Amino acid sequence: MPNLELSFREASSPFHRMTPSSKLVFVIGVSFVAIFNTNMWVGIGLFVFVLLLAAFATSVPLKTYWSLGKVILPFVIILFVVFPFFYSGQATTGSDIIVIRTPIRDLTWADIGFGSLLAFRFLAIGVSGLIFAFTTHPSDLVQSLSKRGWDYRLVHAPVLGLVLFPALLEMGREISITQRIRDLGQDTNWFKRKWVRLRHLAFAMLVLGLRNGQTQAMALDIRGYGAHKTRTFMRPMINNRAGTIFAWVFFILSVIYLILQWDPMTMQWNMQL
Amino acid sequence: MTRPPVFVVEDYTFWFRTPMGEVAPTALENVSFEIEQGESVLILGQSGSGKSTLALNLVGIYPDYFGGRNQGRILINHPEKGLINRRELQPGERFQLVNMLFQNPEDQIVTLSVEEEVAFALENYLMDPADINPRIDRALDLVGLQGFRERSTLKLSGGEKQRVALAAMLAMEPKVLILDEPTSNLDPVGTSEVLEAIDRVRKRVDITLLVIEHEVDAVFDLVDRVVLVDEKSVHGPYEPRTFLERHGLDVRDHLGLWIPQSVEVALELRKAGTSIPRIPLNGNELVEALAPDGPLATVEAAKHEAVSSAPSSEPVIEVKDLSFSYGEGDVLRGLNLQVYRSELLAIVGQNGSGKSTLAQLFNGILTPTAGQVLVEGKPTTDYKFAHLVKRVAYIFQVPEKQFIRTTVFDEIAHGLRALKLSEEETEARVISFLERLRLLEHRDRSPYILSHGQKRRLSVACMVAAEPDVVVLDEPTFGQDYQQAQRLMQLLRSLANDGAAVVFITHDMRLVAEYADRCAVLSSGEIVFEGNPYRLFSSPEVLSQSKLKAPPIHEFSQRLVGQPMLDAHELTQRLKEVFGAESRTVV
Repeated sequence: MPNLELSFREASSPFHRMTPSSKLVFVIGVSFVAIFNTNMWVGIGLFVFVLLLAAFATSVPLKTYWSLGKVILPFVIILFVVFPFFYSGQATTGSDIIVIRTPIRDLTWADIGFGSLLAFRFLAIGVSGLIFAFTTHPSDLVQSLSKRGWDYRLVHAPVLGLVLFPALLEMGREISITQRIRDLGQDTNWFKRKWVRLRHLAFAMLVLGLRNGQTQAMALDIRGYGAHKTRTFMRPMINNRAGTIFAWVFFILSVIYLILQWDPMTMQWNMQL
Repeated sequence: MTRPPVFVVEDYTFWFRTPMGEVAPTALENVSFEIEQGESVLILGQSGSGKSTLALNLVGIYPDYFGGRNQGRILINHPEKGLINRRELQPGERFQLVNMLFQNPEDQIVTLSVEEEVAFALENYLMDPADINPRIDRALDLVGLQGFRERSTLKLSGGEKQRVALAAMLAMEPKVLILDEPTSNLDPVGTSEVLEAIDRVRKRVDITLLVIEHEVDAVFDLVDRVVLVDEKSVHGPYEPRTFLERHGLDVRDHLGLWIPQSVEVALELRKAGTSIPRIPLNGNELVEALAPDGPLATVEAAKHEAVSSAPSSEPVIEVKDLSFSYGEGDVLRGLNLQVYRSELLAIVGQNGSGKSTLAQLFNGILTPTAGQVLVEGKPTTDYKFAHLVKRVAYIFQVPEKQFIRTTVFDEIAHGLRALKLSEEETEARVISFLERLRLLEHRDRSPYILSHGQKRRLSVACMVAAEPDVVVLDEPTFGQDYQQAQRLMQLLRSLANDGAAVVFITHDMRLVAEYADRCAVLSSGEIVFEGNPYRLFSSPEVLSQSKLKAPPIHEFSQRLVGQPMLDAHELTQRLKEVFGAESRTVV
């Protein structure tokens, strides 16, 4: 089976040395600017900025980013190609005036800019999310959040998900193969067959998932998971002042920029238009 | 000198909780036994006899976590409080005293790196981080995984994962550790690694080990006591040699359990009149008892050569220069192989060597990256998938993944209805299959609630009912006791006798030795050997390259009769001939 592994890569880069909380502040900053910014050049600049950080400040090859990033690429391309046709009326606002520009020759640079802005928005958020995933040790994240008062069982859940997800995918794949081998729904039309197979897949996954889940729950229980309200952590907590300053400076600059460019008349989410 | 008991089970009875709340029949009945501190105990029993239920009751998972009703007492020896009823201890305190390793390592790994996995329980029990690090090193050292601390758990082999899970238990320094079939998912090398780790733990740590294990050839030699679970009751503990001496053949013939091959031979000889005062637990002891001065006789080599040779008919499947890749690097490289009608072909090799991939190329689940797989002379890529899978049936390792209907009857009928048979004929053929597989009384039950052995037989039945040309099985006897495995293999043999080609993937070398006509050995995506089991087990370089191990009988039969033999019955017959009709006493 092809290996799609979304997990921590061991290295010693500036981002690896940042605390998970600082990285979260950075990712939130990037996401705010990406979502609320209306200037295409700032959108491109933000994407280039996070891409440069990914290339030179994470010690993770860009090829690794590409192997996962390509998964969202079709979505980004759809945004870039489809949304220019909706510009001006801004379908997202709920405005009465929704302009669908056809044919293509009617498109303006502003329309294309609108599509590009949307595409770069998701590229910037995607790359910053991958920076977080590749440079944050799951245990550091659990530790960081539980020391801020989160229940460790809650914050450990995504780590469990990362560990168990490949097995779940494999189970689904094997059940689907079985359905094809045994020709489930053979005597029905295409739509009904799809429905019969989907229903059976859900049932089989539920039965087998519950059985595996029961063993996993036992394995967690007998190892003291949830025996106490807190837990200790073997890994020393990262504490990098430079990283924290970088993240907060970036976040504050993002907020200042968003305040400066604030114009209710041009914001997409403005329902008063 | 006897040591204090670590467990005292007194008149203990346990009932499962049913989903509807009604009283279920007992799962364990009036169980009483004691286990001494520091002992290694083998828990034996048929599949579904209650071995795991007993283990889960000893740990306290039943009835505390998953419900059920119990009666009687289980006392645990607490370092400070002495013998104390299990229920008087908090779960956390109890799990630090008694812990359990499960069958499948995939189900119990919960973090992404080895050191985190080993530290997981210690962190949950609020251990000071300064004390955790030395415990991780000690536990990894015990299981032979020094240098693995930083490794990702996602990139470990099955055997390594199971040893990491074992280390995670040992790091807690429990007084009792229960191992529930720890090698059942592993290849021969993974099994050896885990058994060696268990042996190291037994010798170096003051711990009580309770082991549920089918790999009896290696385990009987490691344990101090044996406990037998049969029909909800627990018998023993017995001293292993005494147990085998008194009950060995009964256990094999009536309960259908595996016993060590050396014991089988010795007990059969004893039954035939040869006096063997001390039952040997391993091949060395058997050779010392029967032939201390060298082989007793030489078996003609020709007999073995004649056992199996490649059939001369046209192959039903032909693999030509086959390569396959999932995208990164070749999983299979330049393979050539033929599969013939009426033969049982075993495909063996380490985990990850490409066995399942090869099997899935036989019926078009996967398509070759290069080369061809021909079925009856026609490439698989030229067949319609729906047509090909009816000719080449593929049976997965986990039977439940194969079930698509709500009753046992419909599972088998599904394939027959696809052939457009009349309802009468379909019913007649299903009933005949159900009778053959002893599943008739379950015809209207859900396949999901059958026992493991019944599920496995059903999964085979529903794929072979439509009479395919080739049957491909992934680990057909996984998790089954001796009797169930024998019955299943006899069913496969009868399919082969009816003209089908049977291909099975297995890690069980006893199965290969006893049933395979030919074997193909895969190593790193290449076929490194093709031939009969005698030749395979007599090729040390192939075994070493593919990390396989010959069954013990292969080694000790050579020392007894001058030629390797693979079947305990055959060896016994030979030895009976050598010893003649007159009885003989050996030391």
